[in-house]
Amino acid sequence: MSPARKPSTALRDPAWLRALLLIVALAFVGLFLVLPLIAVFSYAFEKGVALFVASVTDSDARAAIRLTLLVAAISVPANTIFGVAAAWLITRFRFAGKNLLISLIDLPFAVSPVIAGLIYVLLFGAQGWLGPWLVEHHVKIIYAVPGIVLATTFVTFPFVARELIPLMQAQGSEQEEAALTLGAGGWSMFWRVVLPKIGWGLAYGVILCNARAIGEFGAVSVVSGHIRGLTNTMPLHVEILYNEYNRTAAFAVASLLALLALATLVLKQLAGWRMRRSLPESEAA
Amino acid sequence: MSIELADIAYRYTDAVALDGIDLSIESGELLALLGPSGCGKTTLLRVIAGLEFPDRGVVRFEGRDVTRVAARKRHVGFVFQHYALFNHLTVFENVAFGLRVRRFWKRPRGAELKRRVGDLLELVQLGALAQRYPAQLSGGQRQRVALARALAVEPEILLLDEPFGALDARVRGDLRRWLRGLHDRIHVTSVFVTHDQEEAFELADRIAVMNHGRIEQLADPERLYTDPASPFVCRFLGEVNELPPALHARWTGVGGADAIAFVRPHDLELTPTPSAAVAAIVETVRDLGATVRIEARHAALQAPLVAIHERGRFDAGIRPGQLVDVAARRWVIFPRDT
Repeated sequence: MSPARKPSTALRDPAWLRALLLIVALAFVGLFLVLPLIAVFSYAFEKGVALFVASVTDSDARAAIRLTLLVAAISVPANTIFGVAAAWLITRFRFAGKNLLISLIDLPFAVSPVIAGLIYVLLFGAQGWLGPWLVEHHVKIIYAVPGIVLATTFVTFPFVARELIPLMQAQGSEQEEAALTLGAGGWSMFWRVVLPKIGWGLAYGVILCNARAIGEFGAVSVVSGHIRGLTNTMPLHVEILYNEYNRTAAFAVASLLALLALATLVLKQLAGWRMRRSLPESEAA
Repeated sequence: MSIELADIAYRYTDAVALDGIDLSIESGELLALLGPSGCGKTTLLRVIAGLEFPDRGVVRFEGRDVTRVAARKRHVGFVFQHYALFNHLTVFENVAFGLRVRRFWKRPRGAELKRRVGDLLELVQLGALAQRYPAQLSGGQRQRVALARALAVEPEILLLDEPFGALDARVRGDLRRWLRGLHDRIHVTSVFVTHDQEEAFELADRIAVMNHGRIEQLADPERLYTDPASPFVCRFLGEVNELPPALHARWTGVGGADAIAFVRPHDLELTPTPSAAVAAIVETVRDLGATVRIEARHAALQAPLVAIHERGRFDAGIRPGQLVDVAARRWVIFPRDT
């Protein structure tokens, strides 16, 4: 990895233009990103620390936090396994329908999360295709935790695969072939060669996937049924509190989400930096 | 271990890479697959390694059919063109890889592992760099790590894909002689791919010249040079003059419109002559130190004639504008090809 090169003098814009662009960019970031973030925290602490603590330790809030973590704990590993498998399949094999598979992986990005939620209601809801069968067997998916997990998994489906496919394409398969000729089986090849190679890219994808799993609102809102203490995730809990004019409590819970987002950002930055270092070196010796 | 290939064919979706290859490689031999890029030589090497399965044909090691045996079960050492070292592992761990992935009860451990990896690193003269990472090595050092890693599994066949392609000229020469010396010591059956005829000539016992997925000629270097089997082999092994009968019939005695004489520059003799009847006109004379390179133009030829004379025998009368007579010490005649 060569160190970032200075842009050539020929490509450098005049000073006034650079200053203008910089001001515009900073103003945008300030207005749309930094200011709201400050607002979240200032509203959260507006009535003092005691109320903040009370708001986030309230039993409904705690249930929402627990549920959110549970959902992430299921959907993130599921999508990690799927993402690695899909990226492996797509970058290492030639098969019919490969382009279709790539498009399908992107589907959750293209579809509005609300529609994603509705699809599950239509499939698993009491009036849905599989509804009667599910009712008969006493399986509850919609307005219950399984539905929330399903909807979240759907929405966060592409993150890991999307991150790994270009990375694995750029890295090529020579090291894997080398491992093969040295007698490595599939399992040791994966743990000793593939995983270390894609490690940071994978971490990057998992972090993004996790952030989205925790923050997902639309799809979850449709399938959750908003049952307090049972099927409310953190974003849903924030909405309910806000609609009840409980502004301080709403912002207190929201500030937890914001903190999580900031932590994600730091981790993501770190993983992205390490991932770029794992790209193949220029082969010229 | 000997290798026999019978009627090997391989096609990619849009092109034929191998078109009926028959080749047998003797145990302990060092064989070069030589050809222009796209001639199928790397594909053939990968077929031997088991990294590609042929569409047709049989691969045998020591008489045993291994055509459908997976790469990891063939015990073949493979050195990749760009080395394919494991960047996240040290030099020591790269070399140890093949030993660490062995079945549990066959896996050398502790001191035994250290000793074997240490021996290999000594063999490739990299003992001092065991704890470095590939990114901290020069091209030649990486190449030797790749070689040690391939040898760690004690292969009976060693395959090398353009082993010196990515190195600069001086390192390449050193490494080439070193590799030849290594082969003479360990006698593992070796096949290497190259597009550089000089490399093939310096290293190999025998050379298979490939073109369009076929083997044009298989011979030792000497024979290949003096007795090429086809115009392609002739042209591929370095500069050659192609002379029509009008020019060569006088001294070859071979007539007919189809007979083209192929003459190497150092077999072509130009002598100053006053007669313009069969003569060429000298265009450039270039002193190359030990030799002198002369280019002359003849009315019957599109390309200039190229002759290389040894300095001691160079006729000072040859200078630009001089009429010269053309003759050859040695030549090969092929019918005009299409």
